[in-house]
Amino acid sequence: MPKHSVLIVGAGISGMRAALAAHERGSDVALISKVHPLRTHGGTSQGGINAAVRDGDGVELHGAETVKGADYLADQDAVELLTGAAPRAVIELDHWGVPFNRDPTGRLDARSLCGATRSRACFVDDMTGHAILQVLWEQVLKAAIPVYDEWVVTKPLLDDGACVGVVAIELASGKVEAFTADAVVLATGGCARVYEPTGAGYGVTGDGVALAYQAGAPLMDMEMVQFHPLGIRGSGMILTDAVLGLGGHLVNGGGERFALKYAPTLGERAPRDIVARAAEEEIVGGPAEFVALDLRHLDGEEFKSRFPFTSNIIKTQAGVDPAKDAVPVRPVAHRTMGGIQVDSDGATGVAGLYACGGCADTRVHGANGLGGNWLLEALVFGERAGLAAAQEARSAKGIDARLEDERRRIAVIVDRPAGPEQAGPMRSELGRVMRRCVGPLRDASGLKEAATKIGELSARYRKVCITSKGRRYNYELGAFLELESLLSVGQVIVAAAQFREESRGAHVRRDHPVRDDARWLAHTVASFRPDGPAMTSKPVVVTKWKPEGRRY
Amino acid sequence: MRVAFYPGCVSRGGCPELYPSAVKVAAQLGLELEELTDVGCNGAGVLSREVSDPINARTFAKAEQRGLSTVMTICSTCTGVMGQASIRLREDPQYRERLNREFLADEGLEYRGTVTVKHLLWIIHEDYGLERLKTAVSRPLRGLKVSPFYGCYIRRPDAIIEGKPQRKQYLERVIEAVGAEVVDFGGKGRCCGFPILAANETNSMAMVAAHTGEAKGKGADCMVTPCPLCHLNLDGGQPRAEAQKGEPIDLPILHLPQLIGLSLGFNPDELHLKRHIVRPRTVEEKVQLLT
Amino acid sequence: MQATFKVSRYDPEAGGKPTLQPYTLELPEDATVLDGLFKIREELDGSLAFRASCNRGFCGECTLRISRGGRLACMTRVATARTKDGEVTVEPIRYVRVLKDLVCDMDRSLWQKIKAVEPWLQPAARPPEREYIVADAQLRPVRNAMKCYHCGLCDEGCSVIPFDNTFLGPAALTKAYRFLADPRDGARAHRLRGLGEPRGMWDCVHCYEADEHCPRGIDPTHRILDLREMAIGMGIKSGATNPQVARHYESFAASVKKSGWLDEGRLALETWGVRRIFGLLPVAWRALQRGKLPIPYRHPKRAGAERIGRIFEKVERRKP
Repeated sequence: MPKHSVLIVGAGISGMRAALAAHERGSDVALISKVHPLRTHGGTSQGGINAAVRDGDGVELHGAETVKGADYLADQDAVELLTGAAPRAVIELDHWGVPFNRDPTGRLDARSLCGATRSRACFVDDMTGHAILQVLWEQVLKAAIPVYDEWVVTKPLLDDGACVGVVAIELASGKVEAFTADAVVLATGGCARVYEPTGAGYGVTGDGVALAYQAGAPLMDMEMVQFHPLGIRGSGMILTDAVLGLGGHLVNGGGERFALKYAPTLGERAPRDIVARAAEEEIVGGPAEFVALDLRHLDGEEFKSRFPFTSNIIKTQAGVDPAKDAVPVRPVAHRTMGGIQVDSDGATGVAGLYACGGCADTRVHGANGLGGNWLLEALVFGERAGLAAAQEARSAKGIDARLEDERRRIAVIVDRPAGPEQAGPMRSELGRVMRRCVGPLRDASGLKEAATKIGELSARYRKVCITSKGRRYNYELGAFLELESLLSVGQVIVAAAQFREESRGAHVRRDHPVRDDARWLAHTVASFRPDGPAMTSKPVVVTKWKPEGRRY
Repeated sequence: MRVAFYPGCVSRGGCPELYPSAVKVAAQLGLELEELTDVGCNGAGVLSREVSDPINARTFAKAEQRGLSTVMTICSTCTGVMGQASIRLREDPQYRERLNREFLADEGLEYRGTVTVKHLLWIIHEDYGLERLKTAVSRPLRGLKVSPFYGCYIRRPDAIIEGKPQRKQYLERVIEAVGAEVVDFGGKGRCCGFPILAANETNSMAMVAAHTGEAKGKGADCMVTPCPLCHLNLDGGQPRAEAQKGEPIDLPILHLPQLIGLSLGFNPDELHLKRHIVRPRTVEEKVQLLT
Repeated sequence: MQATFKVSRYDPEAGGKPTLQPYTLELPEDATVLDGLFKIREELDGSLAFRASCNRGFCGECTLRISRGGRLACMTRVATARTKDGEVTVEPIRYVRVLKDLVCDMDRSLWQKIKAVEPWLQPAARPPEREYIVADAQLRPVRNAMKCYHCGLCDEGCSVIPFDNTFLGPAALTKAYRFLADPRDGARAHRLRGLGEPRGMWDCVHCYEADEHCPRGIDPTHRILDLREMAIGMGIKSGATNPQVARHYESFAASVKKSGWLDEGRLALETWGVRRIFGLLPVAWRALQRGKLPIPYRHPKRAGAERIGRIFEKVERRKP
């Protein structure tokens, strides 16, 4: 039974940063992950990482734009922490070896992303997340931090209300093992796979979110889901919205740049929630299922050289020559602003259980996260969570019994006799109802339909059988467990969307179309109850920036 | 057709059968060769680019001086090394200028970037004409089973192909044009192991054994290669490869001009087949029968 | 559209050999091969094991052999992968031990080799207060090498690895290059010496297969040649090459410098030494008899030899 001081679940960007911080503190830290660190989803992030390092910018301005971008739902104390720590975080990455692009003076270059008035996103060509992920892994290797690779965490170990470890299945062998620790940090990523289609990878199934929720840790602002406007047909693969920054246009069937209706100044370069909403309105209000990304007026050679990867996707996946035709796109679920409620040190509502990265709501994205802040958040709050977790110490009792319970539970699942229900199609049913009813545009009747459907699916879920009884590489079992997470997460997202009766940022209620600061300058908080989440609210922390109208 | 001829080092060194065969065959075909006699070894992928690029720029300048824009090689390695150098020098005028200034100017030479490097194999297809070769064949090598072995540098990297994927089939077409039968096999485009003979002889000999063994197993009487370095390993190294493998191989290796030469009517002795380490007995016998 | 997938199935624990199992599927027109694999696992055969993650062509996890070519399943459309008979064959990548079906032991083949090159930045001194001041052009080769998403296709296409899996291989050597090209790294000599050891950069046959197989345009073979240039630049006696390679290079260079072309007899002798040549006696004798053994040092100068020699001198003078 492996024992460590700090066990980090999820070896992505945030998890590895937390591990390095704990290691720095002298802690015996280990990472456990269902995929190899270099296969985690943060590596797909293309835009850049924000830091006010360049002349003419400042930590305050970065903070102000973050808060506005969040439609004032961000806790401003957390935002100040984020933007204040940003320069050091980025420079640290440079010192570790991330080959950030340089300006002619040899200093860090930066580009401007949607919702920013300054160029503050430091970048590595069109693969910033990929480069950061690699370098963090290199540092983890250098520090010789053990990584339990391809282990699926299924349950937390709780003793006297505190988290003392986890139970996990080793994919290679099917072995179910208990890992104990003084503290557990969840860094398992977001939940966007609860939607279909989605731009998120296959593993982004909210396992950590569901695990924490069921363990008693409340979830915050789960209704806040960011839809990316540039999902190409079929696959839901996303084109980087830096193409909009380059000058690409979004047009409707009549050739009109409709985003200007919603953001008269910035148009397509407005924050993503606004552009996604604009695209969704066009699609819902018209005959076509897509809007069009028009790149024909751009310099073809420049486009291909600055966006070789995107160019290739458009040709091979969308089957379109961007020099001749516009690319059909529509909004797809991308990231989740909400997640496990944490303080600035990653502490959740459960003792010994921390969270950071995509699975946590670190209170900086609010109702819409700006591009460039996501990688930053993963690093800044990952570091803080790792440091905090390293200071914990606790002992655990009764682990053997709990391990046996979980082994039995899994055996029962695997042995269940054949029936008509299958996890895959069920996940698709869930994904489609979420997209239809809890997408960029919502209303009470749609949300009710979603809630009912999820209730039905949860009942049917108990009858899903695993056809593959083998122990080794039983991905079918993994998918089944992921579906449990998705149903749990989906239920909370719907409840939170029902609870927030206003429109703010990414959450648009057609039956409550106006932002209501009087009642709703507050977070939604969902706590686990067997018959559905208990919803409360918590006021937003305002320090420097008074909420204003949000026009772009 | 007149071309500048770069015979390389091995065709008169470790494979002295190659140079005279190539010259004889070219003459018979009516291919005018103007040998570049005062140029240097292109580096063969061993010398660093720092020293080999100027040497090759000088070779190309010498060809230009004679009013020739095609440099013909008879070695895959020469083709690849010089071909890549010519592409580098063509696509980067600043680099070419620097080399001219630093290395060629004091000899009164200047390379203007106009040279193309082509192996005899490519010239036969692209300039001479395969049909024309067929008409020159006076002794079709009917019944002779031949496996092609290209040598890496005449196939890769992709830049060498210059947009002509058919270049990866040229050897098979020539085998057919001279009346012989192609015995295809998986290793035909792979590495013979010669480059690591010094660094890792075991791996080098294993490659020889694998490729010759595979062709032999598929019924080949012999192998033909446009590269004398491959020849050195596949022929010269064959006894050691056999010893390492613990099995006989006995597959004769012909140079491309030798195969063509046999079909043009030259006898094996005129093409110096007796110099080979692996005696091409079957080949000689079959040719004898065809005469 | 209808498609027939033939998927390699194999469980080493059950024994036997890999077999191709057919599955007929109904898929959307623009479906990818990965879509097809998920459909098989979710609806037809839950026991199929394969790896996948980002579904966007970024992470390298779904690298498979699809219709006999190595590529990412998530970026390969079924419509283009189909062979003439409308089938899509899906197999694991070659030369790596199969753990189950399409899942391979990447640990033993790829990850261990990458770890062996000390893949983390080793700065020479304490970093500056702020970012390193570096010209962007100097970081371009680093970024190019870091495009690598560890798909393992370069290793799969390598000429050497099927014969000798102890060879470090293009993936790990490219990873090493990434640090050697980085002006912020301070371990140049240490790294080159390590890479110059047996099974390292000098075991590469520079056949350019890696360049052909890399889907990211990183040109690993070129990167390995860059490593060799760096080692040679460091001085052939520096220890960044094994003794035989060093002697080989020096002998080659010396004869070309002297006579304008290669003295192979001298090269063989100086590379291997007299004792080794004696060990090759049977072949050497045969070669001598047939006039194929160039007598070492009896090597006529070619016309233009002085000019060639002068080029060498100019390059040597450049070195500090």
